[in-house]
Amino acid sequence: MNRRDILKAAGVVSGAAAMGPFFHVGPARADQGELVVVSWGGDYDQALRDLVFPAFEKETGYRVKLDAPPETAKIRAMVQSGNIAWDVVLTDIPAVLTLMKDDLLEPIDYGVLDQAKLGRIPKELQRSHALGQRIYSFNILYNSKMIPKDKHPRNWADVWDGKAFPGGRTFNFQGGIEPQLETALLADGVPIDKLYPLDVERAWKMYDRLRPLVTKWYTSHAEAIQLLTAGEASIGCTIGPRGITAKHNGAPIEVEYNQGKLASDNWCLVKGVRNKKVALEFINHAIDGKAQAGIAQRVPYGPSNVAAFDFLSPQEAADLNTSPENIKEQYWQNVEWWSSVEPNGKTQREIQAQRFATWMLKG
Amino acid sequence: MVMAGQRRPMGPGQAGFWRSRQGLLVLPPLIFYLLVYIYPLSRLWAWSFFDQHFTLEFYRELFDEPAYFKALTNTLEISFLAAALSLMLGYPMAYLMATTSPRARNVLMAFVLIPFWTSILVRTFAWIVILGKNGLVNHLLGRLGLIDEPAKLLFNMTSVQIGMVHVLLPFMVFPLYGVMSRIDPSLVRVARSLGASPRRAFLRVFLPLSLPGIGAGCVITFLLAVGFYVTPALLGGQGEITLVMLIDMMVNTLLNWGLAATLGIVLLVVVGIIFAVFSSLLGVERVTGK
Repeated sequence: MNRRDILKAAGVVSGAAAMGPFFHVGPARADQGELVVVSWGGDYDQALRDLVFPAFEKETGYRVKLDAPPETAKIRAMVQSGNIAWDVVLTDIPAVLTLMKDDLLEPIDYGVLDQAKLGRIPKELQRSHALGQRIYSFNILYNSKMIPKDKHPRNWADVWDGKAFPGGRTFNFQGGIEPQLETALLADGVPIDKLYPLDVERAWKMYDRLRPLVTKWYTSHAEAIQLLTAGEASIGCTIGPRGITAKHNGAPIEVEYNQGKLASDNWCLVKGVRNKKVALEFINHAIDGKAQAGIAQRVPYGPSNVAAFDFLSPQEAADLNTSPENIKEQYWQNVEWWSSVEPNGKTQREIQAQRFATWMLKG
Repeated sequence: MVMAGQRRPMGPGQAGFWRSRQGLLVLPPLIFYLLVYIYPLSRLWAWSFFDQHFTLEFYRELFDEPAYFKALTNTLEISFLAAALSLMLGYPMAYLMATTSPRARNVLMAFVLIPFWTSILVRTFAWIVILGKNGLVNHLLGRLGLIDEPAKLLFNMTSVQIGMVHVLLPFMVFPLYGVMSRIDPSLVRVARSLGASPRRAFLRVFLPLSLPGIGAGCVITFLLAVGFYVTPALLGGQGEITLVMLIDMMVNTLLNWGLAATLGIVLLVVVGIIFAVFSSLLGVERVTGK
């Protein structure tokens, strides 16, 4: 072996490495009696494991393997490389739209699903490539030690009012969440039923006014809850159900539902799903009203199947963002607006997310 | 097989080294680097130029938007400052370690090493607790009557720097200590005996001899700081957006991998230029600590 041999060997190796992407050497996707479901981890996954998986596994003979979290970048990498390890994913509409734009999801065959269950799920949650499972919402959360409950901010205009409601604010930045443009417009007095199409410039002007009030732009919802609990911020715009969970765990956090933005986490099928029939059967079990009620008792997200409320006490229902009392104060995020494609080929979501980053840097 | 190496005296840098069996030892790390570093980097490079076809669109987008440039200057500013602060804190520490008794040195070594074993995430969260509005520092200052209302220590450049320097300090102290411990103490004594004041002896003898350590420590801490994500993201407030955060957003949120790759390549080139300038000023041997 001399130097030339070594260099030759190195050349062969690097050549092989460069050719790599043209040959997919991943194992063929065999159906091995296993369904891989991807969710967000934590208590919700445990509830799925306890309340949804057993019945499904018994009926189909398939075993469910749970993975987390459903990162869009990962799905894209999987589909592009041909090594698809996931079947069903639970994810939010922004992610669904991004995935759909790049053709990374399979359409859902609604004909195969249980029609009785579908009948109790609001139509706006039944999309071509995504079926709603749980409802989250962006609400006004506040630290009840810093702001007494009888003097709490009741709408977004109050949240923007730094004099009447002292203490820092915390709003989202990064973490896959779009800027809260609807919220900004509501704070500026736009009626809740006249939000869309969003007056983007007006909303960003309101963001300019929000900036000095914000102590910390949070990067994850868990961080937002922590900031509110520790009193680093007195008021935050984050996920209401997470506030309820924190409150149940003893944190001084309260949730105001008025002017809240409702949105859904949805079941989707990854492009190239191994066994579509079995995957749909899994979704059938997950959208069961009774199962969803049981899940909501543990993790207080609104169930997509309204039948779930038949199994919940009034007290349990009151803590859910989709209870009849709470839901009427809120509005559904208009996904069509966020996914509309502008002349430059980009969606509003992409344009606004990019603008959010540049806005932040110009501050 | 050519076994010439056995007959000839060999040393690194001689042709005999490559002909010998020792040359084979280079092969595994070489292959490793090709597979996990050079190859992905070349793919990244390609991504920045291709969107189905060859395009300069990503570079145009990058240079059209001054905010991206701001993220780059933010990154460099934060990293320079972190490296400079690490040097200011690390130099006396390393000096003490190099000149004190072995027992005291072990204690100091433990102080540097123990935080080194804790995860960055844990250490960053610890700073949130310590620097918070109701945190340890504010509590203490309040009890001492030094402040009336909590000082704003968190979510600004101060907290970012505290968090980063805390993580980076060992990477500054160890190269410095390595170089300083090899400086012959008699050289300083000679300078003193020839009439130099302690200050002069330090400035004219010890400091120049420790320069390779300063070079190595600064380059390592600066390069590490450029890649920091967790600490500025958690301890920063609003202005401290670095290029790495922007890249993360492009990769994970917007799935704009072309632009992400372009940002990565630009960062690599800029850092490469800084490294080249730095090493030409100090001499490559000094930076690599040889």
